Formats: sequence, C-alpha cells, structure tokens
Amino acid sequence: MIGVAPPAYDPAAPESATTLPVGTPTTVRAYVRELLRRHRAAFTVLMVVNATAVIASMVGPRLLGGLVEDLSEGERDLHIGRTVALFAVALLVQTVFVRMVRMRGAVLGERMLADLREDFLVRSVGLPPGVLERAGTGDLLSRITTDVDRLANAMREAVPQLAIGVVWTGLLLGALTLTAPPLGLAVLVALPVLVVGCRWYYRRAPSAYRSEAAGYAAVSASLTESVDAGRTVEAHRLGERRIAQSELRIRQWTAWERYTLWLRSVLFPVINVSYTLITGSVLMIGGVCVMRGWMSIGDLTTGALLSQMLVEPIGLILRWYDELQVAQVSLARLVGVREIEEGPADEGVVPGGREVRADEVRFGYHEGSDVLHEVSMRVPPGTRLALVGPSGAGKSTLGRLLAGIYSPRTGRVTLGGAELARMPAERVRAHVALVNQEHHVFVGSLRDNLLLARAFAEDAELWAALGAVDADGWARALDEGLDTEVGSGGLALTPAQAQQIALARLVLADPHTLVLDEATSLLDPRAARHLERSLGRVLEGRTVVAIAHRLHTAHDADVIAVVEGGRITELGSHDELVEADGAYAALWRSWHQ
Amino acid sequence: MHIRDLPYPDPGRPDVRSGPRFLIWLGRNQLGGQVKSALWGLVHMAALVSFPLAIGFGVQAVVDRSGSRLAMAGALMVGLTVLTALGDAMLHRAAVTNWITAAARVQQLLSRKTVELGSALTRKVAAGEVVAVSTGDVEKIGWFVEALSRFTAAAITTVAVCVALVLYQPALGAVVAVGVPALALAVLPLLPRAARRADEQRDKAGRATELASDTVAGLRVLRGIGGEELFLGRYRNASQEVRTAAVRSARMWALIAAVQVALPGLLLIGVVWYGASLAQKGRIDVGELVTVYSAVTFLLFPLRHFEEIAMAYSFSRPSARRAARVLALRRSSSESAGAPPVDKGEHGEGQETAARLGGDLYDPTSGMLAPSGLLTAVVCGDPDAAGRLADRLGGHPVHGGPDDGSHGDSDRGSHGDSDRGSHGRAASALLGGIALDEVPLTAARTAVLVQDKDPVLLSGTLTELLDVPRSGEVSAEKALDAAQCGDVLDALAQASAADTHGADGADGPDPMRTRITERGRSLSGGQRQRLALARSLVTDPEVLVLDEPTSAVDSHTEARIADGVRRLRTGRTTIVFTSSPLLLDRADRVVFVPDGEAVGVGTHRELLGTDPVYRAVVTRETDGEAAARSAGRSTGPAGHGLKGIGRVEEEIEESA
Repeated sequence: MIGVAPPAYDPAAPESATTLPVGTPTTVRAYVRELLRRHRAAFTVLMVVNATAVIASMVGPRLLGGLVEDLSEGERDLHIGRTVALFAVALLVQTVFVRMVRMRGAVLGERMLADLREDFLVRSVGLPPGVLERAGTGDLLSRITTDVDRLANAMREAVPQLAIGVVWTGLLLGALTLTAPPLGLAVLVALPVLVVGCRWYYRRAPSAYRSEAAGYAAVSASLTESVDAGRTVEAHRLGERRIAQSELRIRQWTAWERYTLWLRSVLFPVINVSYTLITGSVLMIGGVCVMRGWMSIGDLTTGALLSQMLVEPIGLILRWYDELQVAQVSLARLVGVREIEEGPADEGVVPGGREVRADEVRFGYHEGSDVLHEVSMRVPPGTRLALVGPSGAGKSTLGRLLAGIYSPRTGRVTLGGAELARMPAERVRAHVALVNQEHHVFVGSLRDNLLLARAFAEDAELWAALGAVDADGWARALDEGLDTEVGSGGLALTPAQAQQIALARLVLADPHTLVLDEATSLLDPRAARHLERSLGRVLEGRTVVAIAHRLHTAHDADVIAVVEGGRITELGSHDELVEADGAYAALWRSWHQ
Repeated sequence: MHIRDLPYPDPGRPDVRSGPRFLIWLGRNQLGGQVKSALWGLVHMAALVSFPLAIGFGVQAVVDRSGSRLAMAGALMVGLTVLTALGDAMLHRAAVTNWITAAARVQQLLSRKTVELGSALTRKVAAGEVVAVSTGDVEKIGWFVEALSRFTAAAITTVAVCVALVLYQPALGAVVAVGVPALALAVLPLLPRAARRADEQRDKAGRATELASDTVAGLRVLRGIGGEELFLGRYRNASQEVRTAAVRSARMWALIAAVQVALPGLLLIGVVWYGASLAQKGRIDVGELVTVYSAVTFLLFPLRHFEEIAMAYSFSRPSARRAARVLALRRSSSESAGAPPVDKGEHGEGQETAARLGGDLYDPTSGMLAPSGLLTAVVCGDPDAAGRLADRLGGHPVHGGPDDGSHGDSDRGSHGDSDRGSHGRAASALLGGIALDEVPLTAARTAVLVQDKDPVLLSGTLTELLDVPRSGEVSAEKALDAAQCGDVLDALAQASAADTHGADGADGPDPMRTRITERGRSLSGGQRQRLALARSLVTDPEVLVLDEPTSAVDSHTEARIADGVRRLRTGRTTIVFTSSPLLLDRADRVVFVPDGEAVGVGTHRELLGTDPVYRAVVTRETDGEAAARSAGRSTGPAGHGLKGIGRVEEEIEESA
C-alpha cells in the first residue's frame, strides 16, 4: 500500500465554536501591510545587506570558473595570487554580511513580533466587558499563548528567512542566466517537478501539522489533567481509565505523525530530485553547448557551482513556507480581536443621579430564547436589594444588566436617567461595580494588585483600604509589605485573602453602586463569615444589589426580589414576604426553624 | 516498532538510576530502529558526497570534448540522485520513528506513574515536574534520540570522504582531511553560550506569556474596575525584555553563521590556491580540482550534524535527568493503604475484599459513628478538621495532623496543596470493624467514596463524565435528577446548539454529548458542584462521604438536592459534612464534632433545642445573645455586619 490517508479524528477541530471572531483575509492583509509599512526602512536594509552577501558568495564559483577556463586553455600565467586575494576579500565581505543579515533579520523579526503581541494585548484589554462576560476568557487566553507562540517562530525566522531565500534564489538564477543564458533552461527542467510536488504537499501540510501539534498537546493535556485530578482519580478508581485515555491520545497523535511523515516522504524526494536535476541538467546542457563551442568551459564550471548553491535558498523557502501558512491562521485569530465592535459608547451620556432603574427589560443570550421577560424595577440610592431564586432563574443575568455589562434586548437600564448601555465601560465602572466569585490575584506585587483600582494612590491610601477590609493584619506581617510578589508563582494567597484584596480594590475604586454575585459562595463557611464582616464595612452607604445564595443574606436586605423563570415573582421586605407565605416563606421556614 | 502499532502494550520498566542511564535504556529498546536509521543515513550521505565526483567527471569530459563520458557522468548523476532521494526519505522516516516511539514510551510511563502516585502526587512538589516532563522534556529527549543515528551516519561519511579524497587525490585530499575536523569542531565552543542565551530568551518569553495570560485571565476584573494601563505597561516592559534577550541570542547565532561561512570559505581558498598550482604543474586534472572544490561544499551537510548532536545532548541531558527523577518516584509506604491501584494482581482480591466490606462506619479518633444504611450529617466548626475527618473515613492518608486545633492561618481545605508537614498519622476509620487502611486500596476505595471539597470534573462529554466505575444500580438520569442538574443540562444543550447551529443531528442538541471543558471552567461553581455530586451518586458506593457538597448552591436548589440525595441513597450509608440547616434537617442523624470530638448526636431539631453552641454554628444567628453564646468558639462571632444600612423608603416595584 502506498500512501497514508489523513486520520479520521482531528484533534485540531475546534471543540466548541470559537467565541471571538477570527480575522477575515482582508483584515489580515491590511494588518500585514501596516506592519510592513511600520518597518519599511529596516526591511529595505535587510534586503540590501542580504543581496551583498549573496553576490559576495558568487565570487568563489566565478573565480574557479576562470581558473578552469585558463587551465583548460593551457594558459601559463594564472594570476593565482590575485585570484586568491579576490576570493579572500569576497569571503570577508560575505562573512561580515551574513552575520549582518542574521542580526538584522532577528532584530526586524523581534520588533515585528513585539509589535504584534503588544497590539493584541492593547486590543484585548479594550474589549467591552459584555463580550468578555459572554465569551469568557478561554479563547482569548489560547490566542495569547498558543497563537502568539506560533507567530513567534514565523516572525522571528520565517518572514526574514523567506525574504532572504527569495532574494537569494533570484540573484543566483540571475547570475546563472547572465553567466550563460542556455543554463537558465536547466532550471526550467526542474521547475515542473518542484512545483507539482510542492503544491501537493502544501495543500495538505499546514492543516496536518496543526492537527499533529494539537494531538501532541492533547497527550500532555490528558496527563496534566490526571495529575491535577489525582485525588478524584483515586477516589473514583479512574486509574485504568486515565491510562487508557492517555494511550488513546497517544494513538490519535501518532496517527497524525504517521500522516505527516508520509507527506514528507513525498516532499523530500521531490526536493532532492529537483536539486540534482538542476545541477545535472546544467552540466548536460552546458556540456553540449561547450562542445558545440557556444559556451566556454569556465562559464560551465561557474554555472554548475552556482546551480549547486541553489540548494540552500530553495531549502530556506521550502522550510519556512509552511511555517508561514500556519502563522497566517494564528495571525487571523489575533487580528480577529480587532474586528469586535466597541459598542455604541457615547461620551456625552452622563448619569444625573444614583437611582438604578430597569424598564420592561427583555434579554436573552441566544436569539429566540429570552432569559428575562419584561422585568422592571427601581433601586433608590442606598437601598440593599437581594435577588433570590433557583439556579438558572436569571438572577445573575439581571445583576449583569443592572451593572451595565449587558445591554437589554428591549427596554432600558438606566443610572440616574442615563442609559448604562450607551456609556463607555470606563464611565460605567466609576459608578457601578460587579463583584463576583472571580477574585483574581494578578501576578505582581501586592501594590500592583491594589493600584489597578486607583492608579496614583499613595501607600497610605492602600493601607487604609486594606485596613477597611481587615486585611492589614496579614498584609503587614508580610516580609516585603506591599512589594510582596503574589499571584501564580509568587506568594499563594488563600481564597479569603484574595477576596479581601478584591474588596480592597472596591474601597479604592469607590463606586456608589455594587452588584454582588455570589461573592462569597466559593469560600468555606468560616472564611465567608469572616469576610462578610469586612464586606459590611465596604457596603456602608452604597446601593447594593446582592444575588443571594444564603438566606441570611436575603434576610438582612431592605428588599428581597424572588426571581423565577426570568420574572420577579415576589417582592418585598423579609417580613412582608414571610407574611405573604409564598415560595420564599416556605424556604425560610425550612431553613430557620 | 511501527508508528501505527503505538501505543506500546507495555512500556516496560525504565532504568531510572540517572539521566544518561535512562537515555541508554531508551536507546537499547529501539536498537533496531537506530541501526536502520544509521544505515539509511549512510546511503543518503554517501550518495550525496559522491555527487562532486560526477560533477568533476562531467567537467573533465567537457574539457576532453568527450560526449560519451559526459553521458556517463549524466547516468552516474541519475543513479546518485535516486540513492540520495531514497536514502534521505528513508533516513527521515527511520529517525522520526525513533523520536515518536521514544516520546510515546515516555508519555506512557508518565501516565502510569501518575496513576500509581494518585492523590499522593497532588501533595508533592513533583506534580509540576511530571507536567514539565510531559510538556517540555519529552521533546528534547526525542530530539537527541532522533539526531543520534543521523550523527552516526554523518560521522562515518565524513571520515570516509576524507579517506577517499586522500586516496583519490593525495595532495589536495590531505588539505581537506586536515581542514574538515577543524571545521567540525570550530563552532562547538560557541554552542553552550548560544544555548544558554536561547534558554534566557525562553525564560523571558515564558515570563511575558505568563504576564499576558494572567492579564487576560483577570481581564474581567480589569475591565470592571480599571488598571488596564498599569498592566499594559508591565506587559510592554516584559515584551521588550524578550526582544532584547532574543536579539542578544541572535547575536550569538549570527556569529556562528559567520564562522560557518568563513571557515569553509578559507578551506575552499586553500583548495583553490593549492589545487590551481598543482593543476598548473599538470599534477592534477581540472576535473579533479572541481571535484575536490565541490566535495568540500558538500561536506558541509554532514558536518552540520556534529553541531546538532552537541546541541541535542546539552538540551536533553537535564531533561533525561528530570524524567528519571520523576519516574523513580514511589508512593511511600506510609501513604499507601495497600496495593497500588493499577496493580492487576491485587485487583481481583481488592474486589473480593470490597464485597466483604460493609456495616457501620466508625472513626475512633473523633468517636463519630455513622450507622449502616442511614444518612448522617456531620457538623464541624472548622472546615480543615472536617476535611481531615473525611479523609480518615475513607482510609485516605491524613495530612496536617489529627485535629491539632490550629484554626489560625489557613482557610483552605486540608487537601489542597498542603504545605505543612505531616504531624503523624491518625488511625483510619473502621468499616464493619475493619480498618480501611489495612485492606487493599481498591477495596477501600470501592467500599467508601470520599468526595472532597474540591472535586475535579475531568474533561469529556457528560456521558463520559458519569461513566465511572459504579454499582450499576443508579442510572445517570436518576443521579442527575437527584443532584438537580436540570439547568446544567439546559445550559449544555444551549451551548451545543449555539456551536453546531443545529448542523448535525436533526433531533436537536444532546446535552449528554456536549463536551465539558477542562475542570468545567465553562460552568459556574454551583453547576460544577452539582455535576460532581451526580458523579458520586451514580457510583453508588456502599458508603458515600460528601464534604460540603452544596456550598456553592443556592438555598432553593440545596433543599431539593437534600431531598434527592436522601431518596436516592435510601438503604445506603451516606455521610454529609455541612452546616446548612436545609441539609441537616433532612438527615437521619446529626453528629456535632467541634474541636475534633463528637460531642452531640441527635436529629437537627433535637440538637437545635439542646445545644446552644450547635445552634450558633448552624444558624449563624446575628443577635447579640447568640454572639454571646458562641463567643469563645473557634467559629468566632457570627455577625456579618450587613445590617445597619440605613433603610430608605422602598420604592421597588414590579410592573408587568
């Protein structure tokens, strides 16, 4: 059997649809043009330096050709000294310029890469909160890690090397034709083989390599998961299954390795044959020409040696061409983030008060299925409102609408009469903050972790904020105080400490309205209780919408709204609702005997 | 070994005494592959370096105006072309096969080792090392394995060419034979420094990636509260540092490239100089000069493999050392209850023992008793102590000391990546009078399932998630229903509908076939918790121990879960660690274990009435008298300060 079919299972096939857009070819092209324009000068210099190096490298064959010519003519004075001196000068030039090409290529590639990754992050941190909330950060995360990595190779090597390879090949072919025009025909002999073979290969290779890489990553991912879940695996006696899972991943990965190996088993002979075909036909065509007296023996030698030199630039082009194809996909994913609409932010929309209001709000995540139906409510400044209800009833969604993260499909959510959806995110967050279970501690110093909420705060303000949430005790005990490195790789903070930091940020940011979404639900009860004390201090004097898991939170609220099936079914104070004897009252009785 | 036969049925027992020994062990296991690869390498390179012979022969034929000899040169070229192409392709196939089989073998060894170490691994620093070996080191080891045979072929070819040149054209050949070793060795001293700079660059790049992914991971926080500029500035600095390091590294590689141009160039100049004068004196033919010149340029190909092997070895040596260290890890005897879980020999016995295990579960350390067939709720003031008690109940090794009463610093569960040392071992619980850490591990785990505070959802479809070793008595539907996973199913169905746009399957999205991403990150905390509970329920063990199974679930749902679990576990022994009245009220009996000792037993209502401390712990009373009652307990005052916010006249209303 000749040939290997691509495996049926493709590990690179997206597990779930990408949640963020991928750049269209037009956007990608425009971006590449912009990138090249920004680095035009460096690119030109690189090409000139490269051409110099290539031309210097052709001196050797030229000189040897001359020698062969003279020798075969039986010339007495060969000027060996002059020839060697010329050769040495050419070698010096070539050495210096090759070094320069490598350096300039790297400098240019690194600069483009740095531009690219920084551009991407700039765009990412400008994404509308609603997009992030809905799409999650997973897709973005894979773009900044995997895609930037893949592009690194392309930018650092492929782009400069390809440019070098193309210039190099062109110059060699030019020199070959210039030396003896008939030798140019030799290239035409090899060209069809090369073109057909490479087309076959490059049509299959990029996606196959993507699958192969994804397959290999899946092998490691499966193991990482087993390590991570060691306890669960042991408790559920999943050991055998995890081994089987790993071996399945290995089988899937190696199937792709086998396929790409087959692709190369075709490509390599094609390339090898093309090289030797060029040199061979230069020799044969040239030989005949020399014998017919159409060409000198010296030109033939030069031509043969020049054609031999084609190996390197062609190899360079072939080697980096598929890297470029892979890079194109990654680039499209990075550039795609640029296509996300900013939303109709209007600098002119300024709230004229602190009252939060929802008017006949309808909202859904997917077309045709609304999560909220005609919800209207008013939260006067300073009120504490608790949203209670079963999972999936729409509590969190309502909270996010009130925090201005989502815009209602129909109806309006306003703050002081101004529509939240039309305000820029930077303005919204000066007034309203959403506090959820996500208490991310950033890699960096404790100070950085607080400064993000108030950029130019003095240390004293930071300590005051930590004090306000009862965190100054442990923070002062840290050896390096505010300079202590925290986050992944630094000092590991407990979930409760992480949550305290999140609260300290709120103290610094000082919004007058807060939406709390299960802010303490992932903490164990003891930590939660401790934290709620700190929270109480932070909440004082602010309008609070709390999505309550625990009934005692609801009990303390001024108003409780029971959300069921996307509607508010009960509304009133704790005592009123208990009196009304509805769903809330039943739950409360069961909870609090 | 063919790639299509992977994975190995048995990856074997590695020699893990040291890194080099591990490499040798790997090599011994693919000796045939290495030899095959080296032989094809010889074919390829021999044909390649013979090419100049044909070129020189051809040039000489033209000089001599001999058409027939030119044709012969052509025929020779065709033959060499075929051999070069065949050799190259086959060398590549053999060498890459060596790479892949070695990598697959190491990955297989790693996955077996991971399972053998089980929960012990998560507590060890080694967890990171195992992952590092799998994601980074395997490739480096594979590189060396792959390069080795190519290098062997290249070394033989180089020596052979030098010898042949000396024989073919002694005077010129001697120049080449002296020059080539110098070429081969010249760049070697530069390589370690280049490799070091490349490592520095990688470290910096890793740091920048970490910063970027950290920023993205916390992006919702940033967008919600501000600080984008601060983090962008930080990232820009890191990114520019990567650029500087990369350019520094490139400087080294540029130098190496220059050396690789200059030295062969000098050798060529020498050949031309000396060769021309020889030819002038008529001591060599023109063709011979061209052959030697061309041979030197061709020799540069095998010479590159000298550099490659030096690089590959310097990279793979630390990797092999780390792999050997990881594979040498053992589940220490004090942590292992009995046989390792994958040991097939013990498996059968484990099942038999498991069948015999049953009865009341009793923890001698705390005096806690869970009667067979009942739903027992346990209230501990301290979540760490609860975690330790849960561990003992399952015969798991307990870390962090048996209820040493240290409530101070750590708010984490005891089985996170616990950083404190073991203060000694507490006796494990007795199931029907048999100590659980004295029966085979499989038996203990089969009889008692402990679901800890942070159960991990393994990635896969919902069907796969629930496909765990189980009794078979409880169907997935029943378990999902009892754990109130209805909204999770809806969410998954919606997600799969949004993904496929209804493309495949006319019968609509099937939530059971929707993939749950790694660790269930796409789900909320409450949803994850309920799925984990469903998984434990479907297992249907003799004894099920649940540690805070509903801490992230809202009260409405929690109440329904309590009913569901109770119904589903009728007649089986269930122990729930909780302080939620909704669960406690539905338990057959409640054991109150403050400070590591069972001090009260009864129903929730009984204990509420008789034990004020218990009352304070479970109801979190806010009133002054409750705080006074609970003062001095580890739980601290139960106030939460949410009161005292000035009540504004309420105008919240609902329209529609």
